[in-house]
Amino acid sequence: MKKIFTAVFASLILFCHTASAEIDATQAEKFVKEVTDEGIQEIINANVPQSEKDARFTKLFNRAFDLDFIGQFVLGRNWRTATPEQKKEFISVYRQLNVSTWSKRFDEFKGREFIFKGTSPSNSKGQVFVNSFVPMDQGEPAKVVWRVKEKAGSYKIVDIIIENVSLAISARNEYTAFIKNNPGGINALIANLKSKI
Amino acid sequence: MNAFKFLIAIFSITLTAACAFDGKIHRSEADADPFENINRPIFTFNQHADKYVLRPLSEGYRAITTPFVRERINNTLSTIKEPVSAVNHLLQGEPKGAAINISRFVINATLGLAGMFDVANGWGLKADEASMNETLAKWCIVDGPYLVLPLLGPSTPRAATGLAVDSVLNPVYLSTYSDANIRDKINYPYTAIRAVALREKASVLLDDLERNSVDLYAATRSAYLQNQSKLRCFNSTEVETEAYDFDFGIEEEEAAFEESGY
Repeated sequence: MKKIFTAVFASLILFCHTASAEIDATQAEKFVKEVTDEGIQEIINANVPQSEKDARFTKLFNRAFDLDFIGQFVLGRNWRTATPEQKKEFISVYRQLNVSTWSKRFDEFKGREFIFKGTSPSNSKGQVFVNSFVPMDQGEPAKVVWRVKEKAGSYKIVDIIIENVSLAISARNEYTAFIKNNPGGINALIANLKSKI
Repeated sequence: MNAFKFLIAIFSITLTAACAFDGKIHRSEADADPFENINRPIFTFNQHADKYVLRPLSEGYRAITTPFVRERINNTLSTIKEPVSAVNHLLQGEPKGAAINISRFVINATLGLAGMFDVANGWGLKADEASMNETLAKWCIVDGPYLVLPLLGPSTPRAATGLAVDSVLNPVYLSTYSDANIRDKINYPYTAIRAVALREKASVLLDDLERNSVDLYAATRSAYLQNQSKLRCFNSTEVETEAYDFDFGIEEEEAAFEESGY
């Protein structure tokens, strides 16, 4: 009797657990692998001019990352007070800034590869972490973790955590501090980011 | 003696901080930084020191050395620190880690020509550094408020205590301690070389951060605190860091903000 109870209880817990996880971790990992493979082979190591690389990267970036979601997360509490125009403009500027920042760094990634090490569950609904390592010339490999979210059957990257530092959380903290200390608020932030593209 | 007094002072700050803060890692970063009004000017001062002293020095260093030479220097600097890691591994209850540090020190200092070549790595003895900050964290001492130290940069009372203890444990400091004359002649250049080498190693990342940042102070603080959150108490059951724990569900997120009035 006790055994049956345990079994029922265990399967209940298991059920609840899988019900909340929703996202298919294997598919998510496959998705990140494909994105990084494409990035390395078709862009970073490809023998094409930088302008072509930039164009390919912009396409890949927009396809693989959910910038609407990230933009909203990054603005944090300021998202709610922003006007629809400000929201639209911020996401557009943030997208361009990310594309131009990463485009400048292709050379650093030349010859590097990602080694995937399974996934970890997330306590956010419909999200999962895909773990990877990048071997370095010196010292220990760098730990790179991808936060992946499922959106209407397709997978999107919503954050990259490099050596325990989340790019989205860092940006969110930084932008929140900037808006708090700046009388120009969100408009000043947008103008400042624009000047960096 | 002065170093000892400094240690006691910092240690008591840590203890006071430990009482004042509940050690929760999920506090907001503004809460973790009650001294922002003091930290910001010190951060600006450090930026100037970097711009006019450290950065030019590291650029000069980069100009007169090849990557090969820099790797030799970095290896030697790491080898010198192996005994410090060994002590910390022991204090963290990891004798195996300590044994690896000692083996690496002995092998690299001799066969590796004064640490220039990482011979031990080829023998399967992988580099594994341990600091007093990690040790104190393992002992469940909380980090306390965010601090920006003059010239030393981002820190916390715990990290500062750790840094002070690690510097005293450093073989260069210990072996020159008895003779005041030699001590200064060796320790100042040693510290300077370490600072320049470290700055050079981080230059690409720092330049990038500076270029893309709208508030460099907040960006640095965020990266530092997120990285600190990986240090855990020995009996902690949490395995992931803040970056993982953060809930990205936006609807719940908004509700949470509403509640906290943040």
